[in-house]
Amino acid sequence: MARVDLQNVTKDWGTAVAVDDISLDLKDGEFVAVLGPSGCGKSTTLFMLAGIYAPSSGDIRFDGARVNDVEARDRNVGIVFQSYALYPNMTVLQNILFPLRFQKVPRTDAEREAREIARLVQIENLLDRRPGQLSGGQQQRVALARALVKKPNLLLLDEPLSNLDATLRLSMRAEIRRIQRELGVTTILVTHDQIEATTMADRIICMNAGRVEQIGTPTDLYRAPETTFVAAFIGSPPINLIDARLAGDTLEIGDKRLRATGAGTEHGGPVKLGLRPEHIREAATGLAATITASEPMGRETLYTADTPIGSLHFLEATSMPRLAPGAKLSLTFDGADSLVFDAATTRLMHGVCAHV
Amino acid sequence: MTAIDWNRLATRARRGRRVRSALLLAFLTLVSLPVILPFFWVVVISVSARTGGVEAAVLWKACAVLVPCVLAYAGVHTFIASVRARIIAGLLLGGLCLIGLYVLIGADLHLNNYRFLVNPNLIEDIRGAATIGGQFPWVWEAFGNSLLVALTSMTLKVIVATLAGYYLSRFAFRGRSFFLQSLLLLEVFHPWMLTIPIFLVIFWVGLLNTLSGPILVLTVIDLPFYIFIMKGFFDAVPWDIEMSAMTDGATRRQAFRHVVLPQVRGGIIAISVLGFIKGWEEYVFVTALRTGNSYWVMSTYLYYVAEDVMGVDYGLVAAVSVFYMLPSLLLYLFLQKYLTQLTLGGVKG
Repeated sequence: MARVDLQNVTKDWGTAVAVDDISLDLKDGEFVAVLGPSGCGKSTTLFMLAGIYAPSSGDIRFDGARVNDVEARDRNVGIVFQSYALYPNMTVLQNILFPLRFQKVPRTDAEREAREIARLVQIENLLDRRPGQLSGGQQQRVALARALVKKPNLLLLDEPLSNLDATLRLSMRAEIRRIQRELGVTTILVTHDQIEATTMADRIICMNAGRVEQIGTPTDLYRAPETTFVAAFIGSPPINLIDARLAGDTLEIGDKRLRATGAGTEHGGPVKLGLRPEHIREAATGLAATITASEPMGRETLYTADTPIGSLHFLEATSMPRLAPGAKLSLTFDGADSLVFDAATTRLMHGVCAHV
Repeated sequence: MTAIDWNRLATRARRGRRVRSALLLAFLTLVSLPVILPFFWVVVISVSARTGGVEAAVLWKACAVLVPCVLAYAGVHTFIASVRARIIAGLLLGGLCLIGLYVLIGADLHLNNYRFLVNPNLIEDIRGAATIGGQFPWVWEAFGNSLLVALTSMTLKVIVATLAGYYLSRFAFRGRSFFLQSLLLLEVFHPWMLTIPIFLVIFWVGLLNTLSGPILVLTVIDLPFYIFIMKGFFDAVPWDIEMSAMTDGATRRQAFRHVVLPQVRGGIIAISVLGFIKGWEEYVFVTALRTGNSYWVMSTYLYYVAEDVMGVDYGLVAAVSVFYMLPSLLLYLFLQKYLTQLTLGGVKG
């Protein structure tokens, strides 16, 4: 179990930059999710930690010691690949024993440890099967057992849940979290699924185009996204982002003017107003809105409405759609819930709020 | 809506399936007849011909028994679904067949043509030692040499093709695509076109009249193709399995041996079979690379049995042929499932 540091790590293949100057530090036993769209460099980061790729520049440290030049096999990193990468020619038990074979663990001890870990991930009745005879969920547990049996410094999970069906994904999420807590192993989960990241991780590293957009707890990323990218990526259904113009204490959106408060309003210019659908609600007075679509989502209903500040999505906690397309109403939101981003830098303007 | 007569539709579908499979069987029988018949004839000749002549009568009599039996079994196979019934019918027909053969041609069968297996001085016994200078070897010597040529060139081919295929599949290096293209280019030229240069090279390196000559030449001319086949098989092994092994503490070599190699087993077996058969049946280079009778292999042995002795003993030639093709045939029969995988691997590559 280890502390892991990345300092100014860059990975490029000639002109193609996959990871651009990222720095992070992981505490011992922490569960961190690397979240981002496909192609953002998150898997490359993972493979650099595992020692499969060498960084082009920057340092990777385990417990303070630089490991850039340490071979993958000597790093003692457990990795669960997206495809699970089980060895098809070996039984489940042989798969789990494989890492121990190179650690010179005596056969009887190795077998005991393998059975222990198999019990932990609940596959002790499958040990004689071959990977081809297992379901996706079972294969995933085997891959997890194989990664954990060597008591790794660091556990890397590369989109481990993306090949599972929805129900199984839900239970495996809790399962992986339980196992990680039980063993206290420092873990990095790579995913493009924000729900996976927010439900499992202590901290989330949100990446885009090879760069880190924001590092923080799931709540930080939801409440105070540093950039419009994070704001748009976290939250379901996605946030409303509205082009606006900040001029002193007013926010101009087309012909409509909203009140702006907070420090920093004097730096006017083009901004984006971010409003989460769950923060918009009906009120006696406010923005005049006409419903254009309603989508029942089970527990809630998502409405789309035309308003003077553009088309807005908003949620209502009713399972039966209450409003039909064409219905007219007034919408409002709390200033504290609004997010204002500088349109040029895409960064959040802390403390600036918009009011209806 | 009128009621649908499900039973009638089901009956029609069952009948259709039977007709289709019967037609297929008939077609396959027809197509394979010209392929099987010559082989069958060679076998019949080898166990029935007496010195000096071949009689077609035995062949026709044997066919008269076998063809109805085969057709009857085809019928059984088409119309009876139960596997047990099929086996019983097959055994019965097989028994009938044996009895029929025994009654009709039993008296004509003998093993005298196979005497070359136990008699080291076969030709001398017939023609007298003077005829061919006592140079004609015992068949087992030729057999041993053929085995040596086939096994050695097979082993070399498999080792080199496997390692080269792996390297080409996994590593990017300068000139990789040029190398792959030139491998293909080599396939354009038929090796026989190179006989004279090859002869000269072998002569200069002093391997003329040794078995090492044909072994090396056979290995080299097949390699490009085999490397391609193996590259295809390695390409089909997922990259992350290997990476997984290496993060599990294996060196690249250990990952190759424990994880990658077992997954291309089919390819290795396939090129082994092909490589063995290629060396086993080789005639051109074993003849071209010797002056005089410095070594004998099965193909040259068969050639001399057929051509060098005045007045051909067809029974003997047929018996040698049967003996000669037996190893290839057995290999094919037992390992054909790997040979069919070959096309799959090839397509992937």
